[in-house]
Amino acid sequence: MVFMRDMPSATYDRIVNQELPEFGETKCVAGPPISDRRIAIVTTAGLHRRQDKPFALGVGEYRVIPDDTDMNDLIMSHISNNFDRTGFQQDLNVVFPIDRLRELAADGTIGSVARYHYAFMGATPPTDQAPVAKDLAQRLKEDDVSGVILAGV
Amino acid sequence: MGGLAHYIEGEGIPTAQISLIREHTERLRPPRALFVPFPLGRPFGAANAPDFQRQVLQTVIGLLGSTDGPILEDFPDKAPGPQEVSEEELDGWTCPVNFASPVKDLSNADKFRKAIKQEIALLRPWYVESVAKQNGRRLDGLTKYRPEEIADLLIGYCEDPSMASFLDGEPLPRAIKLTADDLKHFYYQAALARPGSVTYEDIDNWFFGGSSAGMLILEVRKILIRSKDAALKRVGLINLLPHAMSHHAPKRPKG
Repeated sequence: MVFMRDMPSATYDRIVNQELPEFGETKCVAGPPISDRRIAIVTTAGLHRRQDKPFALGVGEYRVIPDDTDMNDLIMSHISNNFDRTGFQQDLNVVFPIDRLRELAADGTIGSVARYHYAFMGATPPTDQAPVAKDLAQRLKEDDVSGVILAGV
Repeated sequence: MGGLAHYIEGEGIPTAQISLIREHTERLRPPRALFVPFPLGRPFGAANAPDFQRQVLQTVIGLLGSTDGPILEDFPDKAPGPQEVSEEELDGWTCPVNFASPVKDLSNADKFRKAIKQEIALLRPWYVESVAKQNGRRLDGLTKYRPEEIADLLIGYCEDPSMASFLDGEPLPRAIKLTADDLKHFYYQAALARPGSVTYEDIDNWFFGGSSAGMLILEVRKILIRSKDAALKRVGLINLLPHAMSHHAPKRPKG
């Protein structure tokens, strides 16, 4: 398995010590009770619908995944080979837990599932994502999203 | 990932993220994060383990209720799955199809082409079964090409590395990467037809060490690495062979 702790020390050091931008402290925004939240998933797994253009390296772009998409149609064009894809290959929810999110909405744990979810490709410098993140935030607001779950690979 | 959390929260929308690399999260300090002790590539833990996935998701969603960030909590449990399976059980994993003798001599392109197409034909029923088991879900489809066509294209590249891109709107390095991934996805989906636990290493070793298609990818990689074009060289060096599979690559001449 691709555990960080099992990596050769050189690879581990290269990943852990890679250059990262400095972020100041971002104040946590308050929201309604969890049971009233409208939740969207933002993944950096490089997922998109089969009809969409695959992700390109070093481009801070995202793909929209409408909640009514046939989720069997999602494919992965992440450029990296160095993470475990077998979980995703067997079960989308390992990476993009859409079925679990819907279950939490159905049993009242959360308020509702957003109309749109979003995907980026990791392996992109975080600062390259800044210009589109503003645009993404606007879309999330238009969808009345009150909680975003971010998950990478 | 941590950057996106800062940007989105900064625009007024609460975020909580799954962290797979704790050290990065400690440095990036996103508003709320849940570190999970799972392999890279498995942020929600394990395949076909809905209760466990729900537990992870519910825990990270629960962080949204806190405003005293930056919050970095640890998910306490290991994911169920192959990493919990004994070595004896793992030793028992075999792909539905084992190819008796993958072609390693690439000097005869026709023989090589024939060997890969035989593999694809042998795998096809398993691929169909695997797709049916996943209710029609397919892993391939990054490009318009069928696996047999991809084999032809990549062998064509080996024969003539100066060839033009064969994917509309994509430069040659991307065309090679996307088609190589699509060929792998076909093989991997077929391999996943067999029930039971399979690890990333099992399936990658089977592909790169036991199939002519894996040999083809290694040959393409070898040619790319020799290229004077930086983008082609990069694909060869970084994007075709996982680090953990580097023992399958032929030794590079020194100098």
